[in-house]
Amino acid sequence: MVKSISYTLAAIALCVGLFIFYEWYLNKQFTEFSDAVETLYEKTENRTANREDGYAVKTMWADKKAKLNVFIPHNDISYVDYWLSEACGHIYAGDYEGALPKVEVLREISVNLPHAYSIRLENVF
Amino acid sequence: MALIFIRTAVIFITLLAVMRLMGKSQIGEMQPFEFVITLLIAELACIPMADSSIPLLYGIVSIVTIFILHQIIWLLDLWFKPMKTVICGKPSVVINRDGVDYYQLKKNNLDVSDLVESMRAAGYFNLDDVYYGLYEANGSFSALEKESKGEEKNSLPLLLVDSGKADKKNLAKCGLGREEFYGFLKSQNARERDVLAMTVNPEGRVYFQKKGEKYKILKLKVEKTW
Repeated sequence: MVKSISYTLAAIALCVGLFIFYEWYLNKQFTEFSDAVETLYEKTENRTANREDGYAVKTMWADKKAKLNVFIPHNDISYVDYWLSEACGHIYAGDYEGALPKVEVLREISVNLPHAYSIRLENVF
Repeated sequence: MALIFIRTAVIFITLLAVMRLMGKSQIGEMQPFEFVITLLIAELACIPMADSSIPLLYGIVSIVTIFILHQIIWLLDLWFKPMKTVICGKPSVVINRDGVDYYQLKKNNLDVSDLVESMRAAGYFNLDDVYYGLYEANGSFSALEKESKGEEKNSLPLLLVDSGKADKKNLAKCGLGREEFYGFLKSQNARERDVLAMTVNPEGRVYFQKKGEKYKILKLKVEKTW
Protein backbone atom coordinates (compact mmCIF):
# COMPACT_ATOMS: atom_id res chain seq x y z
CA MET A 1 0.00 0.00 0.00
CA VAL A 2 2.70 2.49 1.07
CA LYS A 3 4.80 1.34 -1.87
CA SER A 4 1.91 1.88 -4.31
CA ILE A 5 1.15 5.33 -2.94
CA SER A 6 4.86 6.23 -3.15
CA TYR A 7 4.99 5.11 -6.79
CA THR A 8 1.87 7.14 -7.56
CA LEU A 9 3.25 10.26 -5.90
CA ALA A 10 6.57 9.75 -7.67
CA ALA A 11 4.77 9.42 -11.02
CA ILE A 12 2.73 12.57 -10.32
CA ALA A 13 5.86 14.50 -9.29
CA LEU A 14 7.69 13.29 -12.38
CA CYS A 15 4.80 14.35 -14.62
CA VAL A 16 4.45 17.78 -13.01
CA GLY A 17 8.21 18.33 -13.30
CA LEU A 18 8.13 17.26 -16.94
CA PHE A 19 5.17 19.55 -17.70
CA ILE A 20 6.90 22.58 -16.18
CA PHE A 21 10.15 21.81 -17.96
CA TYR A 22 8.30 21.21 -21.25
CA GLU A 23 6.51 24.57 -21.14
CA TRP A 24 9.67 26.42 -20.21
CA TYR A 25 11.88 24.62 -22.74
CA LEU A 26 9.48 24.98 -25.65
CA ASN A 27 8.94 28.68 -24.97
CA LYS A 28 12.71 29.27 -24.64
CA GLN A 29 13.54 27.46 -27.90
CA PHE A 30 10.84 29.15 -29.91
CA THR A 31 11.50 32.59 -28.43
CA GLU A 32 15.15 32.35 -29.51
CA PHE A 33 14.18 31.09 -32.93
CA SER A 34 11.48 33.71 -33.27
CA ASP A 35 14.02 36.48 -32.47
CA ALA A 36 16.36 35.13 -35.15
CA VAL A 37 13.53 35.00 -37.69
CA GLU A 38 12.47 38.52 -36.74
CA THR A 39 15.98 39.79 -37.43
CA LEU A 40 16.02 37.93 -40.74
CA TYR A 41 12.67 39.52 -41.61
CA GLU A 42 13.92 43.02 -40.90
CA LYS A 43 17.06 42.41 -42.96
CA THR A 44 15.01 40.97 -45.81
CA GLU A 45 12.68 43.96 -45.67
CA ASN A 46 15.71 46.28 -45.81
CA ARG A 47 17.23 44.15 -48.59
CA THR A 48 20.37 43.64 -46.52
CA ALA A 49 19.91 39.93 -45.76
CA ASN A 50 22.63 37.76 -47.27
CA ARG A 51 23.69 34.12 -47.52
CA GLU A 52 25.35 34.23 -44.07
CA ASP A 53 22.15 35.46 -42.40
CA GLY A 54 20.10 32.68 -43.94
CA TYR A 55 22.77 30.15 -43.10
CA ALA A 56 22.94 31.38 -39.47
CA VAL A 57 19.19 30.94 -38.98
CA LYS A 58 19.31 27.51 -40.64
CA THR A 59 22.17 26.38 -38.40
CA MET A 60 20.37 27.64 -35.33
CA TRP A 61 17.21 25.80 -36.32
CA ALA A 62 19.11 22.58 -37.11
CA ASP A 63 20.57 22.66 -33.61
CA LYS A 64 17.19 23.30 -32.02
CA LYS A 65 15.22 20.77 -34.04
CA ALA A 66 17.52 17.93 -32.98
CA LYS A 67 16.29 18.51 -29.42
CA LEU A 68 12.72 19.54 -30.29
CA ASN A 69 12.15 16.21 -32.06
CA VAL A 70 11.85 14.67 -28.61
CA PHE A 71 9.08 17.04 -27.58
CA ILE A 72 6.91 18.01 -30.55
CA PRO A 73 5.45 16.08 -33.50
CA HIS A 74 7.97 15.75 -36.29
CA ASN A 75 5.46 17.01 -38.85
CA ASP A 76 5.49 20.44 -37.20
CA ILE A 77 9.29 20.49 -37.41
CA SER A 78 9.13 19.55 -41.11
CA TYR A 79 6.74 22.45 -41.59
CA VAL A 80 9.30 24.91 -40.23
CA ASP A 81 12.02 23.17 -42.30
CA TYR A 82 10.00 23.67 -45.46
CA TRP A 83 9.31 27.39 -45.00
CA LEU A 84 12.84 28.10 -43.81
CA SER A 85 14.34 26.39 -46.87
CA GLU A 86 11.99 28.31 -49.16
CA ALA A 87 12.87 31.66 -47.54
CA CYS A 88 16.61 30.96 -47.55
CA GLY A 89 16.47 29.85 -51.19
CA HIS A 90 15.05 33.23 -52.18
CA ILE A 91 17.54 35.11 -50.00
CA TYR A 92 20.50 33.19 -51.50
CA ALA A 93 19.25 34.19 -54.95
CA GLY A 94 18.85 37.80 -53.85
CA ASP A 95 15.10 37.64 -54.48
CA TYR A 96 13.91 39.73 -51.50
CA GLU A 97 10.40 40.21 -52.89
CA GLY A 98 9.94 36.44 -53.00
CA ALA A 99 11.65 35.85 -49.65
CA LEU A 100 9.60 38.32 -47.63
CA PRO A 101 6.26 36.38 -47.66
CA LYS A 102 8.11 33.16 -46.77
CA VAL A 103 9.88 34.77 -43.82
CA GLU A 104 6.56 36.27 -42.78
CA VAL A 105 5.02 32.75 -42.68
CA LEU A 106 8.03 31.55 -40.72
CA ARG A 107 7.59 34.41 -38.29
CA GLU A 108 3.97 33.46 -37.71
CA ILE A 109 4.82 29.78 -37.24
CA SER A 110 7.59 30.48 -34.74
CA VAL A 111 5.23 32.62 -32.67
CA ASN A 112 2.15 30.42 -32.88
CA LEU A 113 3.58 26.89 -32.84
CA PRO A 114 4.34 26.82 -29.08
CA HIS A 115 0.75 27.92 -28.38
CA ALA A 116 -0.46 24.68 -29.98
CA TYR A 117 1.13 22.77 -27.10
CA SER A 118 0.09 25.01 -24.21
CA ILE A 119 -2.81 24.14 -21.90
CA ARG A 120 -5.82 25.82 -23.46
CA LEU A 121 -9.36 24.62 -23.81
CA GLU A 122 -9.21 24.69 -27.61
CA ASN A 123 -6.09 22.52 -27.50
CA VAL A 124 -7.64 20.00 -25.13
CA PHE A 125 -10.56 19.40 -27.48
CA MET B 1 2.97 17.67 -22.34
CA ALA B 2 0.37 18.60 -19.72
CA LEU B 3 -1.99 18.77 -22.67
CA ILE B 4 -1.37 15.08 -23.39
CA PHE B 5 -2.07 14.32 -19.71
CA ILE B 6 -5.37 16.23 -19.79
CA ARG B 7 -6.42 14.73 -23.12
CA THR B 8 -5.69 11.21 -21.90
CA ALA B 9 -7.64 11.88 -18.68
CA VAL B 10 -10.61 13.24 -20.66
CA ILE B 11 -10.70 10.16 -22.91
CA PHE B 12 -10.29 7.86 -19.91
CA ILE B 13 -13.17 9.46 -17.99
CA THR B 14 -15.40 9.49 -21.08
CA LEU B 15 -14.74 5.81 -21.81
CA LEU B 16 -15.30 4.90 -18.17
CA ALA B 17 -18.63 6.75 -18.11
CA VAL B 18 -19.73 5.08 -21.35
CA MET B 19 -18.75 1.63 -20.07
CA ARG B 20 -20.72 2.22 -16.89
CA LEU B 21 -23.75 3.38 -18.91
CA MET B 22 -23.55 0.36 -21.20
CA GLY B 23 -24.16 -1.94 -18.26
CA LYS B 24 -22.71 -5.27 -17.36
CA SER B 25 -23.21 -6.97 -20.69
CA GLN B 26 -20.28 -5.04 -22.18
CA ILE B 27 -17.74 -5.67 -19.48
CA GLY B 28 -17.18 -9.37 -18.94
CA GLU B 29 -15.10 -10.33 -15.93
CA MET B 30 -13.31 -6.99 -15.50
CA GLN B 31 -14.03 -3.91 -13.48
CA PRO B 32 -15.14 -1.08 -15.80
CA PHE B 33 -11.99 0.94 -15.23
CA GLU B 34 -9.81 -2.11 -15.85
CA PHE B 35 -11.63 -2.68 -19.11
CA VAL B 36 -11.10 0.96 -20.13
CA ILE B 37 -7.40 0.67 -19.32
CA THR B 38 -7.17 -2.48 -21.43
CA LEU B 39 -8.84 -0.66 -24.30
CA LEU B 40 -6.58 2.36 -24.07
CA ILE B 41 -3.19 1.03 -23.17
CA ALA B 42 -2.61 -1.02 -26.33
CA GLU B 43 -3.42 1.94 -28.57
CA LEU B 44 -1.38 4.35 -26.48
CA ALA B 45 1.62 2.08 -26.76
CA CYS B 46 1.16 1.26 -30.44
CA ILE B 47 0.50 4.64 -32.03
CA PRO B 48 3.74 6.45 -31.07
CA MET B 49 5.62 3.21 -31.68
CA ALA B 50 4.34 2.79 -35.23
CA ASP B 51 4.02 6.45 -36.25
CA SER B 52 7.48 7.99 -36.31
CA SER B 53 6.05 11.52 -36.58
CA ILE B 54 4.76 11.31 -33.00
CA PRO B 55 7.41 11.66 -30.29
CA LEU B 56 7.71 8.54 -28.17
CA LEU B 57 7.48 10.78 -25.13
CA TYR B 58 3.79 11.39 -25.92
CA GLY B 59 3.08 7.66 -25.60
CA ILE B 60 5.12 7.44 -22.41
CA VAL B 61 3.28 10.39 -20.83
CA SER B 62 -0.11 8.90 -21.81
CA ILE B 63 0.77 5.53 -20.30
CA VAL B 64 2.04 7.15 -17.09
CA THR B 65 -1.23 9.16 -17.01
CA ILE B 66 -3.20 5.90 -17.21
CA PHE B 67 -1.07 4.51 -14.37
CA ILE B 68 -1.76 7.59 -12.22
CA LEU B 69 -5.51 7.46 -12.96
CA HIS B 70 -5.56 3.73 -12.16
CA GLN B 71 -3.87 4.35 -8.83
CA ILE B 72 -6.21 7.24 -7.99
CA ILE B 73 -9.27 5.09 -8.76
CA TRP B 74 -7.82 2.25 -6.73
CA LEU B 75 -7.30 4.57 -3.74
CA LEU B 76 -10.79 6.05 -4.11
CA ASP B 77 -12.11 2.48 -4.17
CA LEU B 78 -10.39 1.74 -0.89
CA TRP B 79 -11.06 4.94 0.99
CA PHE B 80 -14.45 6.19 -0.20
CA LYS B 81 -17.02 3.42 -0.53
CA PRO B 82 -19.63 5.56 -2.35
CA MET B 83 -17.02 6.21 -5.03
CA LYS B 84 -16.63 2.47 -5.54
CA THR B 85 -20.30 2.27 -6.52
CA VAL B 86 -19.96 5.23 -8.87
CA ILE B 87 -16.81 3.98 -10.58
CA CYS B 88 -17.25 0.22 -10.53
CA GLY B 89 -21.02 -0.14 -10.11
CA LYS B 90 -22.67 -2.62 -7.77
CA PRO B 91 -24.00 -6.16 -8.12
CA SER B 92 -27.49 -6.49 -9.62
CA VAL B 93 -29.81 -9.18 -8.31
CA VAL B 94 -31.57 -10.27 -11.49
CA ILE B 95 -33.22 -13.38 -10.03
CA ASN B 96 -34.85 -13.34 -6.63
CA ARG B 97 -37.42 -15.53 -4.91
CA ASP B 98 -40.14 -14.07 -7.15
CA GLY B 99 -38.27 -15.01 -10.30
CA VAL B 100 -36.61 -12.79 -12.86
CA ASP B 101 -36.35 -9.10 -11.96
CA TYR B 102 -37.26 -7.30 -15.17
CA TYR B 103 -36.27 -3.87 -13.84
CA GLN B 104 -32.74 -5.00 -12.97
CA LEU B 105 -32.35 -6.70 -16.33
CA LYS B 106 -33.36 -3.54 -18.21
CA LYS B 107 -31.12 -1.44 -15.99
CA ASN B 108 -28.17 -3.52 -17.16
CA ASN B 109 -29.24 -3.54 -20.80
CA LEU B 110 -29.93 -7.26 -20.74
CA ASP B 111 -32.88 -9.42 -21.71
CA VAL B 112 -34.08 -12.83 -20.59
CA SER B 113 -32.11 -14.66 -23.30
CA ASP B 114 -28.88 -13.01 -22.03
CA LEU B 115 -29.76 -14.16 -18.54
CA VAL B 116 -30.52 -17.71 -19.72
CA GLU B 117 -27.16 -17.72 -21.54
CA SER B 118 -25.29 -16.57 -18.41
CA MET B 119 -27.09 -19.19 -16.35
CA ARG B 120 -26.19 -21.95 -18.79
CA ALA B 121 -22.55 -20.83 -18.70
CA ALA B 122 -22.72 -21.09 -14.90
CA GLY B 123 -24.25 -24.59 -15.10
CA TYR B 124 -27.92 -23.77 -14.49
CA PHE B 125 -30.32 -24.73 -17.24
CA ASN B 126 -33.62 -23.77 -15.62
CA LEU B 127 -34.54 -20.28 -14.51
CA ASP B 128 -35.85 -21.75 -11.23
CA ASP B 129 -32.63 -23.67 -10.48
CA VAL B 130 -31.47 -20.80 -8.27
CA TYR B 131 -32.87 -18.81 -5.38
CA TYR B 132 -30.85 -15.77 -6.31
CA GLY B 133 -28.90 -14.89 -9.43
CA LEU B 134 -26.81 -11.78 -9.71
CA TYR B 135 -24.47 -10.00 -12.03
CA GLU B 136 -21.39 -8.85 -10.17
CA ALA B 137 -19.95 -5.37 -10.80
CA ASN B 138 -17.43 -6.94 -13.18
CA GLY B 139 -20.21 -8.52 -15.28
CA SER B 140 -19.73 -12.13 -14.12
CA PHE B 141 -22.77 -14.17 -13.06
CA SER B 142 -23.12 -15.68 -9.56
CA ALA B 143 -25.99 -17.71 -8.17
CA LEU B 144 -27.27 -19.32 -4.99
CA GLU B 145 -28.58 -22.64 -6.22
CA LYS B 146 -31.63 -24.48 -4.96
CA GLU B 147 -31.31 -27.88 -3.34
CA SER B 148 -33.70 -29.22 -5.98
CA LYS B 149 -31.48 -28.03 -8.84
CA GLY B 150 -30.85 -30.58 -11.55
CA GLU B 151 -33.83 -32.84 -10.86
CA GLU B 152 -34.54 -32.80 -14.56
CA LYS B 153 -31.03 -33.48 -15.71
CA ASN B 154 -31.74 -34.71 -19.21
CA SER B 155 -33.81 -31.86 -20.46
CA LEU B 156 -32.94 -28.57 -22.02
CA PRO B 157 -35.59 -25.88 -21.57
CA LEU B 158 -36.42 -23.73 -24.58
CA LEU B 159 -37.17 -20.05 -24.18
CA LEU B 160 -40.61 -19.49 -25.70
CA VAL B 161 -41.23 -15.91 -24.61
CA ASP B 162 -38.53 -13.35 -23.94
CA SER B 163 -39.61 -9.97 -22.53
CA GLY B 164 -43.03 -10.05 -24.19
CA LYS B 165 -41.94 -11.51 -27.52
CA ALA B 166 -42.62 -15.10 -28.56
CA ASP B 167 -39.83 -17.07 -30.21
CA LYS B 168 -41.47 -18.70 -33.22
CA LYS B 169 -38.53 -20.99 -33.93
CA ASN B 170 -38.61 -22.42 -30.42
CA LEU B 171 -42.39 -22.75 -30.57
CA ALA B 172 -42.01 -24.81 -33.75
CA LYS B 173 -39.17 -26.81 -32.21
CA CYS B 174 -41.35 -27.99 -29.36
CA GLY B 175 -44.31 -28.58 -31.67
CA LEU B 176 -46.49 -25.97 -30.07
CA GLY B 177 -49.05 -24.54 -32.47
CA ARG B 178 -50.23 -20.95 -32.50
CA GLU B 179 -53.63 -21.83 -31.07
CA GLU B 180 -52.23 -24.00 -28.32
CA PHE B 181 -49.72 -21.33 -27.36
CA TYR B 182 -52.19 -18.49 -27.24
CA GLY B 183 -54.71 -20.78 -25.57
CA PHE B 184 -52.16 -21.46 -22.86
CA LEU B 185 -51.54 -17.73 -22.41
CA LYS B 186 -55.28 -17.13 -22.23
CA SER B 187 -55.63 -19.80 -19.55
CA GLN B 188 -53.09 -17.82 -17.55
CA ASN B 189 -54.99 -14.61 -18.21
CA ALA B 190 -51.99 -13.12 -20.00
CA ARG B 191 -51.25 -11.53 -23.34
CA GLU B 192 -47.95 -12.20 -25.13
CA ARG B 193 -46.57 -8.77 -24.23
CA ASP B 194 -47.39 -9.30 -20.52
CA VAL B 195 -45.13 -12.34 -20.27
CA LEU B 196 -41.61 -11.69 -19.06
CA ALA B 197 -40.26 -15.22 -19.43
CA MET B 198 -41.64 -18.56 -20.47
CA THR B 199 -39.58 -21.70 -20.92
CA VAL B 200 -40.60 -25.26 -21.51
CA ASN B 201 -38.64 -28.50 -21.29
CA PRO B 202 -39.30 -31.76 -23.16
CA GLU B 203 -41.34 -33.10 -20.22
CA GLY B 204 -43.71 -30.15 -20.55
CA ARG B 205 -42.54 -28.37 -17.41
CA VAL B 206 -43.15 -24.67 -17.92
CA TYR B 207 -41.51 -21.75 -16.18
CA PHE B 208 -44.00 -18.94 -16.58
CA GLN B 209 -43.62 -15.39 -15.30
CA LYS B 210 -45.70 -12.36 -16.06
CA LYS B 211 -44.10 -8.93 -15.79
CA GLY B 212 -44.25 -7.69 -12.21
CA GLU B 213 -45.51 -11.02 -10.86
CA LYS B 214 -44.03 -14.08 -9.20
CA TYR B 215 -43.14 -16.98 -11.47
CA LYS B 216 -45.19 -20.18 -11.66
CA ILE B 217 -44.26 -23.72 -12.59
CA LEU B 218 -46.93 -25.17 -14.87
CA LYS B 219 -47.49 -28.13 -17.13
CA LEU B 220 -47.98 -28.05 -20.87
CA LYS B 221 -48.29 -30.85 -23.37
CA VAL B 222 -45.49 -30.68 -25.93
CA GLU B 223 -45.61 -32.62 -29.18
CA LYS B 224 -41.94 -32.89 -30.00
CA THR B 225 -38.79 -33.68 -28.09
CA TRP B 226 -35.40 -32.06 -28.61
